[in-house]
Amino acid sequence: MANLYLLDKAIGQNALPIAAEDKGAKVVLIQDGVYLNTEFLRKAGAEVYAVNQDAQKRGLTGGLPSYVKLIDYGQLVDLIVANKVINFC
Amino acid sequence: MAQKHVLFTFSHDPYGSIWYTEGLRAVVGVTSGIDEHSVDVVYLGDGVNFLRKGVDRTDSTRYLGTLAKLGTRLKAEKESLEARGLSAADLSDDVEIILRSQVLGLIQKADLTIDF
Repeated sequence: MANLYLLDKAIGQNALPIAAEDKGAKVVLIQDGVYLNTEFLRKAGAEVYAVNQDAQKRGLTGGLPSYVKLIDYGQLVDLIVANKVINFC
Repeated sequence: MAQKHVLFTFSHDPYGSIWYTEGLRAVVGVTSGIDEHSVDVVYLGDGVNFLRKGVDRTDSTRYLGTLAKLGTRLKAEKESLEARGLSAADLSDDVEIILRSQVLGLIQKADLTIDF
């Protein structure tokens, strides 16, 4: 079971550097969290996901880096059930 | 329900919203009741502005008093303080400064986290 960080933008910003130190962390960008720059998370080895619907609504589907995996809310629920949720949204 | 350890994080500036005081109310609520859950309270990002000396704590005095009686200290992330040019001398006496790596340790230790 990994730590699963749920990040919206305003509060999630504070969790980015913490998640980067957390080996094996998984990070999900939710709502305005899809705007967050997650490049250093990738370098730290974190798995980064974004909720597809939230990216689509903001016109970001093609604008997110290739390492960001797009998921739907059903997949998000699966991640929440399978991991320990660290809430920052 | 068994006793849990709950980590509360505060990330909002203290004024113009009710996050800071409602969050402290929630902390006290979690420590009360039959399960008497244990808590950690950590301020991150702009949340550290609540911990400055001289901040008006009228709205949260009772909550803070209860937490003090329980021995719960308010913790501030050192890196968040430094990013805002703050040091221990700028903060209220009841604040403990911890490193980001220690925040991560509290996350690992917690059964769940709640953010305000």
